[in-house]
Amino acid sequence: MELVAEKNTKNFTMNKESEQESKTKISIKNARVWYGDFEAVKGISMDIKPNSVTAFIGPSGCGKSTFLRLFNRMNDYIDGFRMEGKIKIDGTNIYNKKIHVEELRKEVGMVFQKPNPFPKSIYENVAYGLKIQGISDKKVLDSRVEKALRQADLWEEVKDDLKKSALALSGGQQQRLCIARTLAVEPSIILMDEPTSALDPISTAKIENLIFGLKEKYTIIIVTHNMQQASRISDYTAFFYIGELVEYSKTKTLFTKPEKKRTENYITGRFG
Amino acid sequence: MNKIQVNRWKDQLFKIWGIGCTLVGLILLVLFIGDILIDGIMRIDWGFVMNLPSRKAEKSGIYTALMGSLWILALTTIIAFPIGVAAAIYLEEYAKKGRFSALLEINISNLAGVPSIIYGLLGLEVFVRILNLGASVLAGSLTLSLLILPIIIVATRESIKAVPSTIRDASYALGASKWQTIWNQILPASSGGILTGVILSLSRAVGETAPLIVVGALAYVPFAPSNPMEEFSVLPIQIFNWISRPQHGFIENAAAAIIILLLVTFMMNAVAVYYRNKWQKKWN
Amino acid sequence: MENANHQKELLNQAGLEMMSLCISQLEKATEAYLNNDVDLAEEVIYTEAHVNALDIYIEKNCERYMALYTPVATDLRFVIAILKINIDLERIGDHAYGISKYVVEDETKTPEHLIKVLQFEKMHATIRDMFEDIMDAFENENVKSARKVFKKDKILDAINSEAFSVIEAEIKKDTGIIGKALQLSSIIKKYERVGDLIKNIAEEIIFYKKAELIKHKGNKK
Repeated sequence: MELVAEKNTKNFTMNKESEQESKTKISIKNARVWYGDFEAVKGISMDIKPNSVTAFIGPSGCGKSTFLRLFNRMNDYIDGFRMEGKIKIDGTNIYNKKIHVEELRKEVGMVFQKPNPFPKSIYENVAYGLKIQGISDKKVLDSRVEKALRQADLWEEVKDDLKKSALALSGGQQQRLCIARTLAVEPSIILMDEPTSALDPISTAKIENLIFGLKEKYTIIIVTHNMQQASRISDYTAFFYIGELVEYSKTKTLFTKPEKKRTENYITGRFG
Repeated sequence: MNKIQVNRWKDQLFKIWGIGCTLVGLILLVLFIGDILIDGIMRIDWGFVMNLPSRKAEKSGIYTALMGSLWILALTTIIAFPIGVAAAIYLEEYAKKGRFSALLEINISNLAGVPSIIYGLLGLEVFVRILNLGASVLAGSLTLSLLILPIIIVATRESIKAVPSTIRDASYALGASKWQTIWNQILPASSGGILTGVILSLSRAVGETAPLIVVGALAYVPFAPSNPMEEFSVLPIQIFNWISRPQHGFIENAAAAIIILLLVTFMMNAVAVYYRNKWQKKWN
Repeated sequence: MENANHQKELLNQAGLEMMSLCISQLEKATEAYLNNDVDLAEEVIYTEAHVNALDIYIEKNCERYMALYTPVATDLRFVIAILKINIDLERIGDHAYGISKYVVEDETKTPEHLIKVLQFEKMHATIRDMFEDIMDAFENENVKSARKVFKKDKILDAINSEAFSVIEAEIKKDTGIIGKALQLSSIIKKYERVGDLIKNIAEEIIFYKKAELIKHKGNKK
């Protein structure tokens, strides 16, 4: 009996997987980015699958961070920023004039390289995104803060000092707080820009576990310099080189049988 | 070996020179304060603070001048603080970086260096005559506000700049608008620096004499101002007035008034230092 | 990175050494068998310790290389290939050892006609050919040479499958050769297995170079 049940669920998940593969969460068509005269992203097209972890790898200055920041329009404020091409999230062009950047960012959360909690209490940090949306009901705030902290696997560690300054937490805790802060807003996409580059291996492992768990509900895109991190946690990997997308495929393929010589050289550490 | 010794020797020499320079300033200050204290400390009592000015030195007090100074201080704060901070926020957060903003920036820095008497002349023409405010507390405050605005703007911009950009990014990334980010994150984070700048600029305003004389502050006012449109005097003018009298009693009065003025500015500086430390701690 | 390349090169060298050593072991064992040369057989038995030492050395270094340099893609396939090839080679060494043992234990010569009817010479020549191919494939990372061994292995299989009935017929003719016939039959079986091992090695080399698994592909058809 049990065996049959197991078989069924397996079939089910397999169906789900194949269903997912046909879907697209973010669709990028010929995206180009300039900073003044410098072309940082040179015409990239790719589709990002929902409920998966996609890793962006590539040497420093290859445009992967710039590319990532297109998805929540974080480049908008940078002087000399200019962009061409289309980026659609769930079918909507996010660079359309009618799109409110603030609304977009509630849908597309972001976690940064260095843990950057606000110099406020833990509670205030998580509640911030909700408060700026005008949510002021204490009960709602309390429950959403707790939910987010639990999702970020931080609740047990901080539940007794929610009033304590977030700056008193350790680096790894701060980064999980930043993830909780992002989750509280309930986005569907989470962008992570080298989220563990400033953390020790144990904190890194915790965040990687977290990412693995979050995949179920969110679409995660992570920029990382750590090749093993990309291979450990991602389903898809994209390799960027000087503003171009060199190779984009399933992580298991890219790390065992890369198609392009350049990708192979990079992942095996033959050029950096 | 030899080279290292020469370097050490230079190092020592510079250290001694530095100590000397520091001491020059300190000793002069101590001498000055000591001299003032000897002259005036005995004169200070409750009556000196509460009495109105009089022709007789023993009966004279600084009540009207002190009240005038406090009025000026309060009004200047009310006028200059919001305008200065708002201007700084605009320049730092909203203005597009370009030639125009660069021009504005240079001008503001230059304004901070314009002699205060020029501000007095400007105040006289614009506030006293054109706006017809007369030699009132309001006209004086407006003039002093102009004087300290550049300082407030520069100080505020510096402390806004000092807020890590990661905080800004975090706030924007959570869907906050520009205003929400400024109000909820940037201003609280830079408040210590802003307050320090404002307080230091105000303590400069308290000591200003020249522009107020030009605007028409009087040496002798029989009553403390009760509203912004009345005539007024301030402590520095009172001191200036007393010092110019021949009687020895007034010299004593001047010394005592200087002690009070110094106390006010020292206290303001102390508050500024306190906030600065508190602010620095937050970030480290 | 240079260090990782250096380590990889060391592994490659050790693999090559292991290959030439095992090939020479089997050659010597065969020669000892054909010429009834007990001294040469003793040498093979003595050298078996060297083969085992090299086997352990390679295995340890593969483990170390994987732990310290976490290879991916071509590097990963390289170390996996070396590891598996090493196991195959060690088995070839074992077979050489087994054949030599026969020579030492039984000093009488195998009748010429028995060797002839069982096509042992042809088997020997084919194995030699395959050794040459596989050595070239390994040393020069030559996939073409590696692919040559599959066809040749079929010759060995054919001889091996015939061997049983041939021996049966020979024993019926002359029961005096039973002992020798059984010995040769077992050696032929060993040869057939060596052929399979060489085939495995070829598969590993192709896997390393082309990232394609050709193992067990035939079974599916």
